[in-house]
Amino acid sequence: MINAVLVFNGQGQPRLTKFYTQLETSIQQRLISEIFTLVSNRPDGACNFLPLPPILAASGTSHSASEPHNDVPSLVTYRHYATLYFIIISTSTESPLALLDLIQVYVESLDKLFENVCELDLIFNFETLHSALSEMIVGGVVIETNMDRIVSGVKAQGTVTKRPVNEARPSGLGAGLGGTFVWPGR
Amino acid sequence: MFVIGIAFRLLYDSRFEKSLYDLIRGMRNHKGNEREYIQNCLKECRAEIRSQDLDLKATAMLKLVYLEMFGHDMSWASFHVLEVMSSPKYHQKRVGYLGAVQSFRPDTEVLMLATNLLKKDLTGASTTTIALPIVALPHLITPSLALSTLSDLLPRLSHSNPTIRKKTIVTLYRLALVFPETLRAAWPKMKEKLMDTREDPSVTAAIVNVVCELGWRRPNDFLPLAPRLFELLVDSGNNWMAIKLIKLFATLTPLEPRLVRKLLPPLTEIIRSTPAMSLLYECINGIIQGGILGSGDDDDGQEEIASLCVSKLRSMIMVDGDPNLKYVALLAFNKIVVTHPWLVAQQEDVILECIDSTDISIRIKSLDLVQGMVSSENLISIVGRLMRQLKSASPENGRNAAVDPADLDSDEEALEETINPRQKADGQPPPLPDDYRADVITRILNMCSRNNYSNLTDFEWYIDILTQLVRMAPLSRPTNDLESSTTSKSNFGDASERIGDELRNVTVKVHAIRPACVEAANAILMQFNKDAPSGHPVTSGAVKPIAWVIGEFATETVSPDDSLQSLLQLIPRITSPESLAACLQAATKVFSLIAGDSIAPWTPERKSMISLLMARIIHVFEPMAIHPNLEVQERAVEFIELLKLTAEAVSGQDAAGEDSDYAPLLLTQAMPSLFVGWELKSVATSAQKNVPFPEGLDLDEPINPNLNSLLANAQPLSMPAEEADEFEIYYNKRPPPTSIVSEPAINRLESREEVVGSYQQQPSEDAYLDPDILARRKAERRERNKDDPFYIGEGSSLTGTSTPIHNILQTSNGPDLDVDSIPIMELDLDKLNVGISGSVPSQARKAPRPKPPRQKIVIAADENIAGSGGSTPRHYDSENNSDSFTKSRAKQLKQSVLLGVDSTNIGSLNLEAEPDSRGYDYESQQREEAEMARAMKEVERLRLEMQRANERIQVAQGVDAEGTVVKKKTKKKKAPAAKKKKKKVVAPDAGKEPEKTNDDNDGQASAPVKEAAAENAEEQAAAENAEEPAAVKPKKKKKKARPAEIQD
Repeated sequence: MINAVLVFNGQGQPRLTKFYTQLETSIQQRLISEIFTLVSNRPDGACNFLPLPPILAASGTSHSASEPHNDVPSLVTYRHYATLYFIIISTSTESPLALLDLIQVYVESLDKLFENVCELDLIFNFETLHSALSEMIVGGVVIETNMDRIVSGVKAQGTVTKRPVNEARPSGLGAGLGGTFVWPGR
Repeated sequence: MFVIGIAFRLLYDSRFEKSLYDLIRGMRNHKGNEREYIQNCLKECRAEIRSQDLDLKATAMLKLVYLEMFGHDMSWASFHVLEVMSSPKYHQKRVGYLGAVQSFRPDTEVLMLATNLLKKDLTGASTTTIALPIVALPHLITPSLALSTLSDLLPRLSHSNPTIRKKTIVTLYRLALVFPETLRAAWPKMKEKLMDTREDPSVTAAIVNVVCELGWRRPNDFLPLAPRLFELLVDSGNNWMAIKLIKLFATLTPLEPRLVRKLLPPLTEIIRSTPAMSLLYECINGIIQGGILGSGDDDDGQEEIASLCVSKLRSMIMVDGDPNLKYVALLAFNKIVVTHPWLVAQQEDVILECIDSTDISIRIKSLDLVQGMVSSENLISIVGRLMRQLKSASPENGRNAAVDPADLDSDEEALEETINPRQKADGQPPPLPDDYRADVITRILNMCSRNNYSNLTDFEWYIDILTQLVRMAPLSRPTNDLESSTTSKSNFGDASERIGDELRNVTVKVHAIRPACVEAANAILMQFNKDAPSGHPVTSGAVKPIAWVIGEFATETVSPDDSLQSLLQLIPRITSPESLAACLQAATKVFSLIAGDSIAPWTPERKSMISLLMARIIHVFEPMAIHPNLEVQERAVEFIELLKLTAEAVSGQDAAGEDSDYAPLLLTQAMPSLFVGWELKSVATSAQKNVPFPEGLDLDEPINPNLNSLLANAQPLSMPAEEADEFEIYYNKRPPPTSIVSEPAINRLESREEVVGSYQQQPSEDAYLDPDILARRKAERRERNKDDPFYIGEGSSLTGTSTPIHNILQTSNGPDLDVDSIPIMELDLDKLNVGISGSVPSQARKAPRPKPPRQKIVIAADENIAGSGGSTPRHYDSENNSDSFTKSRAKQLKQSVLLGVDSTNIGSLNLEAEPDSRGYDYESQQREEAEMARAMKEVERLRLEMQRANERIQVAQGVDAEGTVVKKKTKKKKAPAAKKKKKKVVAPDAGKEPEKTNDDNDGQASAPVKEAAAENAEEQAAAENAEEPAAVKPKKKKKKARPAEIQD
């Protein structure tokens, strides 16, 4: 199952945190900062899977695969879009490559919802971020992967507001997140 | 909008409420003093959330949820979360639910009060409202909550909207994890939905996802579904679902071998045809995990599929440009290696290349693999690669960028303002994090010590490796961290301690190599002294075992005087009490060896030399006599007294006289006798268990019951010293010694990334050993071979680093000449014989290399007491761990898995059991609930009636209506009283209640309507009533304030 979905920007500021098991706030923050440290040190061209952050590795799983335990978070998948990192922490019952696609679906759905989404949209509409996620994942289990259904599901809950118009758009984000990025292996 | 703002302003003091938008804007505009700004906002939120206006409340809640994301605790607001959740407006309700999902923790008390609200919303009118509690439940669920919401959740399985249906399915699964009985009620319906071919495909996909999660927990239940699942796999065309189905089948095939035959054709078909890489990968993975590879009978088809899978995985690693494939292929290999190590060993070449990848994730995974496939032939080359890696990421490089522990638990402010200081330097490979380095070291040691060193052929090389490792080990950290004290495995301090332990093990076990070991130990000790400038603490964990080696085998040292000197130098600077105790012991041992020579004449020179030496030792030991650690203190005091006695004896023994040619007996006999005796041998970890337990020994009984109070009294004394230590560490901490200071410039000509040669090219030792170690190695080799006519002495320098020019040539030509890049696979003719194309080249290339002759070295096995289990050098460094260790680890795993879901109970539930036997029966429960609800309504009605009657009386009597305030207490007390009146009405209904709550006392439940049963029902109703006041509360608030009433 999926243990957590995190979104934070290049400075490590969280934009979305969703833990599918209850966790102390301070531990959540520690986890986020550890993952951020890992993610920000990735070289170009590295793969989209992170080694386990120390806090997770210490809590039971070792690096070795000799004791596969399906209940333990063992996979940290991330994708980097423009200024944002999308992270999924999951157990070994999820398929790593499918998770990459799942993040892509999520981002594309957001792009559809906000029309050329950028970080600012997500900052000011974090409620929409949550509701889009809850259309895709409930209780750590994926329930929908079809983009149109996700988008209509979110829209059914109310109108999606665009970011405030007077908020200046920082340069460099113009390209948006959804964009043309398609993972070649897909 | 503005007008409303003004209105608010008038209403609530002079504050102008912020929207979420304002908050975020404010945070962005207050860069630099965000903390203060946020504190102010929190203060405002605290006030706003108490307001009566739900709009304001909801906005404040949304702001709190936003701030919670940044780590600002909002657990204090949990009651307000409930209030917002119960709002009649959807958009407010949604905020409330979001607040609950994000902030409720298992210990949140108001959760109990939420039950009724959740139940109400679950039966709500609009789809969106129903979805809220369904989505929120997995985050809040507790067994009792599961029990009470289950009956409302189950009907949602047949809701007309597929979105509700699929969300319900998942929520039921999460319910089942904490409350397994859920499955009994829900599974038949879920199964029905799964079987229904007209069901919405996304609902089917959700069920498959849930079944996949449940599958590994209780695979037997899902075997009957195999035909339908198979159908879905073949026909659905949904890749997401296919992936999950394959994963599910992988857990089913071990139980039903016939499935293999059925699955192979479609899987092979998918492998050959699918354009989706993820599906392809999962097919391969499924085949591997499902034990389809080589499962017994050697069919042609299986042989074929095995080669297909492995070659596909191999090409995944080889393919350029997609590191993700590389990673997942390694993941798959990691799974294969457990069951089919030989298949992985054939891919040694590609896997070894991954070890040097710039990507840590890939490195770690390949490391896992390498550990599994090491043999005596490739050990040295693999370890060489790893050593080179450690060395090239030289310590000072890694140090700057390593995560400072202080960073991790820094406060919110730092988090919000982090401007990434660790930006990657251009063109430079990212530094290796400390825990990775520690991990690599542990693995090197594991590989070498595997099976009691059976893979190791050259122990001198191993000692050099250990010496080098000590220098490269990450600096151990002060163990004030919470984790490091509990989980020793990930503790970095352990790495250096393990290296020391290894050196000790080799010293003890391998007799032939002992002198070299002791020399190495001496060298390491001197290195410690040299590296840290005087006055700075030495923290390496290797000190303890190394000091022990020096003390125990002092007879093997060339110059014990030097050993003693370095020990004495070291002692004042050691911080760890254990190391200190070991050093004290070692120093005394060495001294007794130096001084205890009974044959040498007792000359004045010797006398004064020994007196001086003793004075020096006493001087060093003296401060330790007041060390806060008892062990250190005791040893120090003991040795000081002993030495003082000896000193007296020495000064009393006149060296000038004729009859006093002999040294004092205390020096020559008594002291050495303390330390010499039987040689110490390594003992298996399991041996202790076999020692018979002495009778009358109670290990749990405290020796001194007052120990705690004694220690408490002693505390104030020791505190200052420790504090001072901490300060000293803090201020004087300096980066660890750099080992490349003296590196000749010529080495720098080598490219940073070593020539990525083929794996069979032995990595030269120069790549990873420090120059001084290398020099010694060379000298030794020359010494050893000087009588060998076939050995060309000076030529040895050519084998290592060649001339720089040659090196440059090699580097530039390297890629072109890389043997591995030549596609050998297609050319191979032996393919048919071996079956797996990738295997052949490596075998063919390996064959001509002669196996290095194994040194004739006896490695002592661990000693054990008859009947005990396997012998292991150390409990942690071998695969065949003692059971207790794995068990305790498993236990620990269960207890403290972060983010993990504990689902231990669900496996034990028996789905097949008769539905009405004792277990949870959904229908009857529902019936009972309906009855209960009716009874409650009746009670409420009667209560109100009575209340009204009461009021009438009060008014009639002229009691002041505003006199007393209604209290909860009044209500509680009143409830039973009210019931007394209508006992007859309620009793028949309520008589059944005990059936639900306590199934066990059937007798009572079936009793006819009697006084006892009625009493019981009454109690229950009262309890029910008492439980609910808060849930009722919101309603109560909306009612007009009731006139006061007098307590009766």
